[in-house]
Amino acid sequence: MSARAVVIGAGANELVAAQVLARGGWSVLVLDRSAAAADGATDVAGWVAPPIVRELDLERHGLEIQRPDPWVTAPVADGARLELWNDVTRSAESIRRFSPNDAARWPVFCEQMSTLARALETLSMAPPPDPMGEGIGALADLGGLALRMRRMGRQGLENLLRMVPMPVADLLDDWFECDALKGVLGAAGVLHLHQGPRAGGTTLNFLQNHLGCAPGVFRPALSNVVRVLAALQGIEIRCGVEAARIEVREGRVTGVTLAGGEEIAAALVLSGTDPRRTLLDLLEPGWLEPESVRTLRGMRSRGVVAQVTLALDRAAGFSTLAIAPSLDYLERAHDDAKYGRVSQQPYLEARAEDRSVHAHVQFAPYALAGASWDEAQRAQLADLVVQTLDAHAPGLSAAVTARRVLAPPDLERPFGWPEGQMHGAEPALDQWLWMRPTPELARYRTPIPGLYLCGSAMHPGGWVPGACGYHAARQALSDH
Amino acid sequence: MSRSFDAIVIGGGHNGLVCAAYLARAGKRVLVLERREHVGGAAVSEEVFPGFRFSVFSYVVSLLRPEIIRELDLPRHGLHILPLESTLTPLANGDYLAQWNDHDQNRCELARHSLRDAEAYEEYGRRMHHMARAVKPLLAMAPPDPASLDPRELLGLARLGAHLRGLGSARFHELCRLMTMSSADYLDQWFECEPLKATKSASGIIGTLAGPRSPGTAFVLLHHYMGELDGVFRAWGFAKGGNGSVSEAIAAAARSWGAEIRTNAAVARVRVEGGRATGVVLEDGEEIHARRVVSNADPRRTFLEMVGEKHLPADFVAAIRRYRFRGSSGKVNLALGELPRFTCLPQGGAALRGAISISPSVEYLERAYDEAKYGEFSRRPYLDMVIPSLLDPSMAPPGKHVMSIFVQYAPYRLNGGWTDARREAFGDAVVDTIAEYAPNLKSSILHRQVITPADIERTLGLSEGNIFQGELSLQQMFFLRPAAAGSRYRTPIQDLFLCGAGTHPGGGVMGASGRNAARAILGEAA
Repeated sequence: MSARAVVIGAGANELVAAQVLARGGWSVLVLDRSAAAADGATDVAGWVAPPIVRELDLERHGLEIQRPDPWVTAPVADGARLELWNDVTRSAESIRRFSPNDAARWPVFCEQMSTLARALETLSMAPPPDPMGEGIGALADLGGLALRMRRMGRQGLENLLRMVPMPVADLLDDWFECDALKGVLGAAGVLHLHQGPRAGGTTLNFLQNHLGCAPGVFRPALSNVVRVLAALQGIEIRCGVEAARIEVREGRVTGVTLAGGEEIAAALVLSGTDPRRTLLDLLEPGWLEPESVRTLRGMRSRGVVAQVTLALDRAAGFSTLAIAPSLDYLERAHDDAKYGRVSQQPYLEARAEDRSVHAHVQFAPYALAGASWDEAQRAQLADLVVQTLDAHAPGLSAAVTARRVLAPPDLERPFGWPEGQMHGAEPALDQWLWMRPTPELARYRTPIPGLYLCGSAMHPGGWVPGACGYHAARQALSDH
Repeated sequence: MSRSFDAIVIGGGHNGLVCAAYLARAGKRVLVLERREHVGGAAVSEEVFPGFRFSVFSYVVSLLRPEIIRELDLPRHGLHILPLESTLTPLANGDYLAQWNDHDQNRCELARHSLRDAEAYEEYGRRMHHMARAVKPLLAMAPPDPASLDPRELLGLARLGAHLRGLGSARFHELCRLMTMSSADYLDQWFECEPLKATKSASGIIGTLAGPRSPGTAFVLLHHYMGELDGVFRAWGFAKGGNGSVSEAIAAAARSWGAEIRTNAAVARVRVEGGRATGVVLEDGEEIHARRVVSNADPRRTFLEMVGEKHLPADFVAAIRRYRFRGSSGKVNLALGELPRFTCLPQGGAALRGAISISPSVEYLERAYDEAKYGEFSRRPYLDMVIPSLLDPSMAPPGKHVMSIFVQYAPYRLNGGWTDARREAFGDAVVDTIAEYAPNLKSSILHRQVITPADIERTLGLSEGNIFQGELSLQQMFFLRPAAAGSRYRTPIQDLFLCGAGTHPGGGVMGASGRNAARAILGEAA
């Protein structure tokens, strides 16, 4: 019988990790906290990277990617709507009604951003570069990466280095004049991030949300990847169980103890739970150096998104609707969050399906100043969302029959997102590449042999579902 | 009569003078052309009101590179620096936080607020010292361009890579984090005492339109930590006689090696012939020829006004247009009939002889920034004040005082524009803010000078009033300062060089840009 590996969690990263381990000859057990496999697994946003699709043959198993077209519809004054499509020319036509200058620049902008996104895709599909790596191998890896980056050409490389740390507001101000256009694009720069568009590094987030998209599309696609992964053979998934402790004996991992007290022996444990909880709660204290504990505690994972679902007694009358009318609007929305309040005028991204509307609401900070996420807060948020949408989809509020609010604390437990942050560690510059989630954990290894981290807090983050698990499992295979 | 020089330096700011001094020291015939009636640029002392002398714009010395002081022998030319021993942060509750250069005194004071922070400060100080040492060699380096295939650049990159790898894992990663974090997030990892975090994070926002929670500000924190007097990191001081004495000393050094300095000589444009700079034309039409031209003016003025777009590649022009200034600070200079009495220090005391910072909490600074983001000056701004007359009595008549107040934020692009009325309203906001901590201030003001970013632009020619000749943000640093094609002090025009703070490593009366530019020129001439 082959040696046993346990994977904690059953999201895209964990399931991909489990498959990679199983194909590497391990007998894999996945611990899923939810009652049934892929229970309630909604569509996942992000780029399902081709190597993962190929290796796990996901297309044959029913992988479906939704690319809404138009991908964004934004109300502009006087009932006009800015629509951006998967087709660059068609978007330019829509933009032309508001700004001929911007329409003329759109194709060039799309091409330049696409080039940069391709470079970030390359970075995503390898473990993070390790500038301090020892030995010839590490130097060769760095050299190889440098050469690949240089292939972008002089201008491309210079753009990458210059733009990645920029505020997305500055980037967009350099290109465009139409507020509505800058608003919907700028929203991609702050998506899931506790920052306004004037903060440095938001261009990186903007580009990451462009991964795997056609030129001119700046929202991650949705896919059924988790459901497809959960149905794959070759691994065992146990539902309704929760890991309570990771067992360590003689300095290496020996298994996992469940909440009920059952101990499962394993030579290899991959944890999709966030690094802080994995290393500070699931592990007996004392394994980490005090300095590492300090850095880990300093890791930022502040959730700022709420999800609101409305049930209607009729169709919504729109397919997608984005409320992000300008960069200043987004910045002011974030100002509230900075001081621990829900945005008085939030950034909304609503998607209608049959007789329901799903709204992404930002900013709704995990930690509220002088308040907590009680029923009154949730109801207030739902009111705010209905009221905001009603202004652009008249009559909507009268059609609402039921509302469900998932505030950041509600996202924390079922999804295992620390503080409701889907990226596990905030997608900021100082938590990117070899600094993600902290420099010493960036290689998926932990100080305990046999224990690996495979959640979205790792490189490359939640933009590429499955990729963190893919890299983590390959690292584990090469170590064992 | 037209005479020919080896080099003309446009602008007699401290970097221009440093560059001229190094060129002259190497035996070059150098002419410095200054538009105003005296040299110094932003580092000038002026008797603004009878009997009261001010360092009108920049007001402290710390970043001036020690190698420059040594190599140009500035003390012999009259530079005398009086150290600032402390930073006082008055608080609304009548208490204060004082930070002292003296290690034990500082520890005691911190422990009064937080024992934990007093402990952490030891390690923090060590860490920043290591970081400053790690960055120091980069300041004197012409930044290599990672996008270039030129073997010289590749060699520079390899050297840079070797330097960074030589730091070891822990220090390298700390440096990476410092480069990318916000100053408040960085300090949150270390300290809990709000006034301490706020006062330290404030140095991360100076000269940049960013708040203490904006990523990229932690690096500016380090930039200010580089303050190095006589080899001691993080020591600040005044120049005796005001910051003009720094410029005067450098000018005297330059003259001692034969450099010629002309004031009231405003350059209108740079002569470009066949893609080479051959001299300058003054506003009065006079033409002066030189083998090369070195501009201490900022990149926008140099390229878009003095050189002209038609001589430059289109993508370079686009890069210069994109280069951000966004002046965000102002200055208020007060002539006082008596010393301000701070509620927190009713007896006065040694702490008044240092810097006084109005930065009670990170949130206070962040709110000040919020107003500036939307085009208003901060009603309750961040203030950094000094009272030079306490250290150097020659600055004010006996018994009277001068107070120098650096103010952030005052956005260049103020809603409705800067008018005389708005300037006074801005001055009132500053005085009102101080009066909350020192109630006798208002009645002791004899004269008041208020300087907005628009004034800085008009008087000194610094675009948008940015005191660093361009924001010190990540995307405008190192080989991107001011643009990839102009970052090694050279420009797309042959024989035209830049030597101002708009080049690596940036502003703060460091002189490093001037020295690095001179070295680039001499290296090329050799």
